[in-house]
Order: sequence, then C-alpha cells, then structure tokens
Amino acid sequence: MNIDVQSLREAGATVQAAFVSLGGLIGVFSTLAVFYLIIRASEAFGRRSPTNE
Amino acid sequence: MQDVFIGFSAVGWRELVMFAVGGALIWLAVRKEYEPMLLLPIGFGAILVNLPLSVVWEHEGAAGFLKVLYDGGIANELFPILIFIAVGAMIDFGPLFKNPAMIFFGAAAQLGIFATMIIATLLGFDLKAAAAIGIIGAADGPTAIYVANKFARDYLGPISVAAYSYMALVPLIQPPVIRMLTTKRERTIRMTYHETGVPRWLKILFPISVTLVAGFVAPISAPLVGSLMFGNLIRESGVLERLSQTAQNELAYLVTLLLGITIGSSMRADKFLNVTTLMILGMGLVAFVFDTAGGVLFAKLINLFLPTDKKINPMIGACGISAFPMSARVIQKMAAEEERGNIILMHAIGANVSGQLGSIIAGGMVLALVPLVAG
Repeated sequence: MNIDVQSLREAGATVQAAFVSLGGLIGVFSTLAVFYLIIRASEAFGRRSPTNE
Repeated sequence: MQDVFIGFSAVGWRELVMFAVGGALIWLAVRKEYEPMLLLPIGFGAILVNLPLSVVWEHEGAAGFLKVLYDGGIANELFPILIFIAVGAMIDFGPLFKNPAMIFFGAAAQLGIFATMIIATLLGFDLKAAAAIGIIGAADGPTAIYVANKFARDYLGPISVAAYSYMALVPLIQPPVIRMLTTKRERTIRMTYHETGVPRWLKILFPISVTLVAGFVAPISAPLVGSLMFGNLIRESGVLERLSQTAQNELAYLVTLLLGITIGSSMRADKFLNVTTLMILGMGLVAFVFDTAGGVLFAKLINLFLPTDKKINPMIGACGISAFPMSARVIQKMAAEEERGNIILMHAIGANVSGQLGSIIAGGMVLALVPLVAG
C-alpha cells in the first residue's frame, strides 16, 4: 500500500486527480449507502415498535 | 499637498476594473436578485478592499477591519462552520426519509467536483488547486470556502464568487443540460408519493448517526458534517425551539453578512484580475454542468433496472446538487411545464437535501484524499 501511495505521489497531477475522483466517488456513494441503510433499518424497526408516532 | 491627493494617485486601472466587478455583483444582487444576501456584501467588499491604500485591509502595519474579519472568520474556517450550523437547523430530512432511495442522487450529482478537478489538472493546475476549483461543483458555498481555504487560499475570491454566482444561476444552467440528456417522454414520468409520518426518534437519531459514520469514514470531514448535523439535531430535538430559530435566523443572517463582505475582501485587484480567475469561473460552470449531467444520467441508469410503473423521472437526478431548495423548485417547474399537474416536488426535495449531505461528504473525501496523494 505504501508503495502504491509513493507511486501516486510521483505520478502526474491528472493521474492523481483521477485517483482522487475515483476514490472520492466511491467514498461518497458508500457513505450515503450507509445512511440509506440506517434510514431503512430505522423504518423496519419503527414498524415493529409500538411507540411509533 | 501631495498627501491630499494620494487617494487619486494610488489607484490604477486594475482597481477601477475591480470597482466595476464589485458594482456588477451588486447589480446582479439588486436588479436580478441573484443570491443577494451574498453577492451584495461580496460586491461591496470588493470595492472596499480596492480603495486607495486598501486601509480596510491593512494600513501602516495595523490590520484593518476586513483583515481582522478574514483572520477571525475565514482563515480559521469559523464562518463556514457557523453557516453549517444555521443550514443544518433549516434542513428538514423528512422528504428523504419518505423516499430514502433519493439519497443516491446526492452522490451522483457530485460528479462535477471530480470531473472539474481532472480538467483543472489538464489545464495546468496542481492537484490542490484543482481540488479547490473542483469543489465549486459542490454547489455549496461554505464547503467551497472551507476546502479552498485549506488548499488554495489565493483562489478563495474567484472560487467563492463562482460558487455563489452559479448557485444563483441554477435556473439558467440546469434546464438546458436536462433537456439535452432526456426525452420528452422521460421528463413527463410521474412518480407517486406516499404521505407517511416520520417518527420523531428517527429524526433525532439521523443527525447523530450521520455524524458518527462520517466521523469514522472521513474523520477530516467532522467539522463540516458535525456542525451541519448539530444544527439539525437542535431543530429536530423539539426541545430547543428558541435555539433552532436563532440558528435559522439571527446566526444565519449575521454570519452571512460578515462572510460576504469578508469574501469580497479577498478580491484584491493584484490577486483577482488575471487569466486564472477567468479559468476558474469557466471551470465552475463546467462543474455545475457535470453535476447536473451526473445526476440525470444516474437516474437514467437506474431506470434501466426498474419496472415501468416504478421508473424515476430523470430530472430528479439533477436535484442531487446542494443548491437547496432552488434546484428542486426548478425541476418541479420543468415537470409542470412538460405536463400539467405532474408533481414531483417532494421527490425533488428528497434528492436536494441528499445533495447537501453528498456535497459535504465529497468535500471530506477531497480533504482526506488530496493530501494523501499530493504529499
């Protein structure tokens, strides 16, 4: 992993930007996917909960 | 005698151009009502800081009031954080809870950030400057200011002006891009909306969960996400109504007032009047176009896998940008124009509030990844 990061640091700015873009998009999608699961899980829990408002 | 006229002798053509730029921003705010709360103070700040001797910035070694505000509110990122608390107190995630799938448009419509970053490097900018320029595509002023301040302080002025100007121009930017990428039939897709109650505990749990998840996934995004979610928790707790109202009104207005004029003070002629500024303004527009395209194309992709009666109106994808609630309003207006009575507003709002989440997460990702590869 360290070697990969080192080679990225030596790469051109566009290659670095492409890496950040790929990583960034994956990161945003996965983080929002976790939020999605939290909402869905809360819904499922809420349906079973007798205190649901 | 010479001292009496020093004001006239100390001003050059560059300063005069900046007065015109400041005047144009004020004109856009007053005449066109484009983001007046930001563009008017920014325009006036630009005029103030370019006055002869720039006394409001620094004079005879002493900091002027704009420099004091800059150091105390922008350089240490305080103003964007306070704005996030205010924005968080204004956001109702209810429409998102009722249709959680909309959250993914908040991710897809961040495409502009990353596409613009790559384009900026092709134009010769280094990675940090390119990232700061790309973040205009967050369509989120505080995030743009926050990231630009970290990576490219010299470009803070043009980046902020581009971010706020294009947010105001969303009604002009998004419709042609959407029309180009969709068919009339797609734009008339109707979506059903079920009005269901959202339990209060979910509204309270959500900002806490989001803060925890974002804090673990991208710890550097904690100030952005944490302040936004703190504001939202105040709103949804139901026991801090006065604080919620204060955050939504007094805090928002006061910080916006100071933020605008302070951003304007970063538009000094010697730093602002160059080709780079024009390039940044151009790339900002590109970022908004790619954001819109990213959201729309993602919706079209999803539609390939959905049954006919469950298809998504692809215009909803364009609402994944953070410009809230303007983007949702624009899309609803377009839907109604395409087919009378087609109401997709609540879905659009769901995607639009997701855009606010997506933009700060994207900002956090950029803040985390860029130093990793740039060293």
